Amino acid sequence: MVDLRAAGGPGESADTAAPVKGRGVRGGRFANVLIVVGATILTVVTLAAIFAPLLANWGPEEIDPAANLAAPGGSHLLGTDSNGMDIWSRLLYAGRLDLGIAVAAVALAVVVGTIVGLVAGYLGGWVDDVLMRLVDIFQAFPTFILALAVAALLGNGTVNLIITIALVNAPAYARLVRAEARSVRELPFIDASVTSGSSTFGVLWRHVLPNSLTPVRVIAPLNCGWAMLTLAGLSFLGLGVSIPTAEWGAMISLGNPDVVAGRWWTSVPPGLFLLICVLGFSLLGEGLQERADAKRR
Amino acid sequence: MRILRFVGRRLLQLIPVLLGVVVLTFLLVRVLPGDPIRTILGPNATEEDAAAARERFGLDQPMWKQFLDYLGGLVTGDFGTSIQSGGSVTAEVAVRIGPTLELVVFSVSLALVVAVVLGIWSARRADRVGDHSIRIFALIGNSMPEFWLGLVLILVGYSVLGWFPAPSGRVDPDTNLTPITGADLVDAVLTANWPAFGSAAAHLALPVATLAIVIVAPLLRSVRASALEVLHSEAYVAAGAHGLRPRTLLRGYLTRATMVRVPSLAALVFGTAIGSTVLVEYVYSWQGFGQWALRGLLYRDYPVVQASVVIIALAYVLVFLIADVVHAILDPRVKI
Amino acid sequence: MLSIENLSVVIRRRGREVAALSNVNLRVDAGEVVGLVGESGGGKSMVARSVVGLLPGGADATGAVHFDGADVLRMDDEALRTHRGHGAALCFQNPRGALIATRTVGRQLTDRLTTHQAMDPKRAREAARELFEQVGIRNPARRLDAYPHELSGGMAQRVMISLATGCAPGLLIADEPTTGLDVTLTREILRQFRLAADADRRGVLLISHDLASIAAVCDRVVVLYAGTVVESGPADQVLREPSHPYTRALLASVPDIDGRPVVATAGAMPLMRAAPDDCPFAPRCAHATDTCGQRRPPTMPVPHGSGDWTLACFHPQSGPMTAAASTLRATAKTAAADPTLQATAKTAAADPTLHATAKTAAADPTSTTAEAAPAGPTVPGTGPVGPAGALTKDRAAGAATPAAGTPVLAIDDAHVVYRSRFGRGGHHALRGVSLTVAAGETLGVVGESGCGKSTLAKLMLGLVDPASGSVEVAGQRYAGLRGRKLRQLRTRAQMVFQDPIGSLSPRRTVGDSIAEPLRALGVPAAERAQRVGAVLDRMELDRSILQRQPHELSGGQAQRIGIARALVGRPELIVFDEPTSALDVTVQAQILKVIADVAADSSRGSVFISHDLATVRGFSDRVVVLYLGRVVEEGPVDEVFDNPKHPYTRALLASAPSLGTGFGGPRVELTRDLEEADAATGCPLAARCPFVTDRCRSDDQELQPYGASRAACWRVPEIPALLKGSDIRV
Repeated sequence: MVDLRAAGGPGESADTAAPVKGRGVRGGRFANVLIVVGATILTVVTLAAIFAPLLANWGPEEIDPAANLAAPGGSHLLGTDSNGMDIWSRLLYAGRLDLGIAVAAVALAVVVGTIVGLVAGYLGGWVDDVLMRLVDIFQAFPTFILALAVAALLGNGTVNLIITIALVNAPAYARLVRAEARSVRELPFIDASVTSGSSTFGVLWRHVLPNSLTPVRVIAPLNCGWAMLTLAGLSFLGLGVSIPTAEWGAMISLGNPDVVAGRWWTSVPPGLFLLICVLGFSLLGEGLQERADAKRR
Repeated sequence: MRILRFVGRRLLQLIPVLLGVVVLTFLLVRVLPGDPIRTILGPNATEEDAAAARERFGLDQPMWKQFLDYLGGLVTGDFGTSIQSGGSVTAEVAVRIGPTLELVVFSVSLALVVAVVLGIWSARRADRVGDHSIRIFALIGNSMPEFWLGLVLILVGYSVLGWFPAPSGRVDPDTNLTPITGADLVDAVLTANWPAFGSAAAHLALPVATLAIVIVAPLLRSVRASALEVLHSEAYVAAGAHGLRPRTLLRGYLTRATMVRVPSLAALVFGTAIGSTVLVEYVYSWQGFGQWALRGLLYRDYPVVQASVVIIALAYVLVFLIADVVHAILDPRVKI
Repeated sequence: MLSIENLSVVIRRRGREVAALSNVNLRVDAGEVVGLVGESGGGKSMVARSVVGLLPGGADATGAVHFDGADVLRMDDEALRTHRGHGAALCFQNPRGALIATRTVGRQLTDRLTTHQAMDPKRAREAARELFEQVGIRNPARRLDAYPHELSGGMAQRVMISLATGCAPGLLIADEPTTGLDVTLTREILRQFRLAADADRRGVLLISHDLASIAAVCDRVVVLYAGTVVESGPADQVLREPSHPYTRALLASVPDIDGRPVVATAGAMPLMRAAPDDCPFAPRCAHATDTCGQRRPPTMPVPHGSGDWTLACFHPQSGPMTAAASTLRATAKTAAADPTLQATAKTAAADPTLHATAKTAAADPTSTTAEAAPAGPTVPGTGPVGPAGALTKDRAAGAATPAAGTPVLAIDDAHVVYRSRFGRGGHHALRGVSLTVAAGETLGVVGESGCGKSTLAKLMLGLVDPASGSVEVAGQRYAGLRGRKLRQLRTRAQMVFQDPIGSLSPRRTVGDSIAEPLRALGVPAAERAQRVGAVLDRMELDRSILQRQPHELSGGQAQRIGIARALVGRPELIVFDEPTSALDVTVQAQILKVIADVAADSSRGSVFISHDLATVRGFSDRVVVLYLGRVVEEGPVDEVFDNPKHPYTRALLASAPSLGTGFGGPRVELTRDLEEADAATGCPLAARCPFVTDRCRSDDQELQPYGASRAACWRVPEIPALLKGSDIRV
């Protein structure tokens, strides 16, 4: 006797043929939405900053003597600040400085932190002890406080700001990469490489490094957003970019006194630009994180 | 008993770190450019005036002597004399720390409660509309410049609606509040001064809201992530596959296992909160520790900079220590 | 009680569809133990998940899972909650991971008791204590307050069983309950399931890849292949005289301690994209005809069988299993059944690497025992290749080929201690091990987990330093060497790892990984390519594999790459550290064949480390039995397996699962689970040995010659009499 059911024949009853959905969580799609939206925001902001001269009708530090604290409208799309500078134009130009400093600082932090973490994590022993105690001292401060102190002591200037922000972020990368390198060190392919006669540097460069960078890839975009907030915060307190230069934090700082008087246009738009730009990084980072988590599961 | 030994061992481990902090700040403020004397004397001072001032603050001594004096003072709780104000740094700290603690404690507590409740709620609805909305909210909060948020809240709450007092001061001076701890709300309760209590609460509302929003965002994300990890863990799936009641699962399994992570997260967020406090105090003209430390930094007021850096580092590492102890109590896997 | 009817599960994820189960029919009655067997990817776990209504996200199920009359797939939340646990309770594969870390195991058990048996907390605690006692947990009252991380693996598995039975389920499902447990424990755990069926009249669905272990406890067996049921019937019939060619291939692939030959079947299980409309095994099957490729064989009763013995095959086989009965044939359309790379079995675009394997398998269906393996380097790729200049260079690098019989590894009284970083003490992993391996010889090392096998492997390769004693490879000691000299010596000994994919660097190509030893030796690029090509040929792999990343490989391919890397530098010694324990049964047989071939080279010594005695017997010349860091017995392979001297060896052999005759002699059963602390003084086995005396507890035991082998037990001469006299279970 042939069992017809096994072959999917007419023995199948109608009610069991209807598919039943699994109740488990699927996930993963939202990650793509986050990544796409984040990347789009960042692309638009970057393009706006690059093509600022085409989009702006005033120079970034150009003063309109006829308009001081002018309300939005007319030739000043978003009004002017107390110096008579056009807010809209300054917003666009500021993107160059904000994005540039943030990305450069994070890149520097990643390079320095990775080298320190890799060496400490793979070699272990006293090298690890010394490097990690140094990291401990840096991490005995909340990062923004550390940035404040370093910025106040180093003084402002684009390069100094990059160094400041990189310096306060590097310890976190060192810790991250160290932890990763320590666990990678225990994996069988490292033993395989050592028994193949590879030198310590060869093992580090060819095997430990490429396999320790996964968390860095996820954290770095989030960190870029945070670096922008730090930069703006420093400028807001007068420790970052100085006032006539177009930078979002400095612009908010300049607009600070106007708020009590109800003049919103000097401080709200730069903050909004900053928020959107940081949000772009956050969305991207969150999406990457979720994708990495989904892969791990 | 084991907890005490654990705390003792951890405190001993803190000593080298704190010593490092002390040495490093002492050296950095002196090595890097900037001169406190020039800033207090102004541009018209002569070389002789500057030398006299240096002698007054002991800055003409060799570096090692200055350091030993400073270290000796630290041991007795004496942070030296402010170059800018000429007053005792220790006394100034005492006045400034209360208002800041008030701000931070209220915001962090509020943020913790909101983050834990919403984080677990969100994780249980993972990938549904409610979860997505909370995540977007958290991401926006995470990307928010706190000083700008403060300005927006002032604009709306004071300039437009007029519901909250102007961003200056912490309590209406007409209420004649007697300062005890420096935290106005606490002082009002202690002296049963109810008009002052209302005024202090109104002044606190916007700064606390500002801080809480920026703190809750990262915390919420982390709590959600931990809860989600628990939900996806084989252990939780196993408990569900054995048909345990939803209430048992939520309380005994999900919440309990998620809470294990909260202390360390809270400690990390406390650090963010300290950083944000400086900015929020600035925006609301809140006469707290942050404002004081910032001014010291701007004027290169060596004793003030040193004191604030050491106090912040101490507070930060102590919070981490407390978090570790609470974690050890909550998590049976931690060996202490 | 449980009746699965025509169940199909399709999983859609990221634009990919996988037919996890296709038209599965299955029944479990009360008081019956049903074994669900097959290789990984066959759909075993998906069956278990369907029964408790735990289908993953993205899964679409059709058909029905009837449990006591209700369809689990279509239950509402409330009904499902009662069904889970009380209807069917699942024992998870990884018990420690399945226990929540922040709740005591007692609380976790009482949670289940109060939920499903309506007990008050006090009564529940008492019942929990009884349950713990039932599953063989010593000191149950104290263990109730333990947290999961405080339990050993065996203990955690017992707790997991008590959690499942605590739900008072009609059906108990165990998903690979003995994975990672030692042989002695495996038997005990499986006995618990038999007990649940016999004493409590529960139905038991036992999921396992380990046919030999579950053979003894199952009433019926269901064999899954690529999401379809290929054969099902009474256990003794299906496991002794299987009718489906896949079941026969599966059984022939399992090494047995009686030393019978292993037969390898080429290819691997395909990953189905849709329910198959042909026989999914046809591409690997020696009996396949055109019909098999056109229609899916219906499920029907086995012609010569009785009872409910059914199979899905057009060409049912009969008769007992012999090696000859499963002679392999490579059909012209040998399917590239590599699950990671190939879309379906239908699109049989032949993967050349596997094709080659199939051909050789056809040409040489002989056993993988050492005796049968060809002696000497008959295969191209091991002999000197390349120009004379290259040879000279090799010699300069210390690669002179030793003559057969010269020792290539000598370990003398080695102790290894892993020190804890802070504080005193540490873990004493090896306590005075001495052994030698000569060129052309294969040494087998067996022992339970925690006995020091892995440490011994690392010691041989210079990855750990001995605290005292010495290790010599190719006549040179690791100790005292530094830099270039040390690196060169390291290339003289190579290892093949337990985790084949994990031992390849995830972000490097296969070609990079194989060539790494050559790069370290400074071999020029042109010669590197040539030598890599030669070892690839020997591993019967196509050159196209060089460009792949490790995650694109199947386990079998990855392990061939691992062996190729070990061979390429022409080392004096290769250490195989559990090389097949992570592989599926039929793939394991293929790899064992390759290893046997490699180990037969006379220019090199081999060490084969395994917890599985059967695989060691297959091709070792001599065997060393490790227990808690000491060698307790050492001798020629047949002597140790047929005539064990040490009580521990005898106990290991007695508890080893077997589908054949198994261990013939009188048996010894150990009295307790292994504990690390036993190693301190006297004979390490004293705490568990049934023949223990005071002298055993106080005196350290040295290896002494007894006949052809040596054992570390002073009572060996008395043991035959003791075995006769005692009423030890047989």
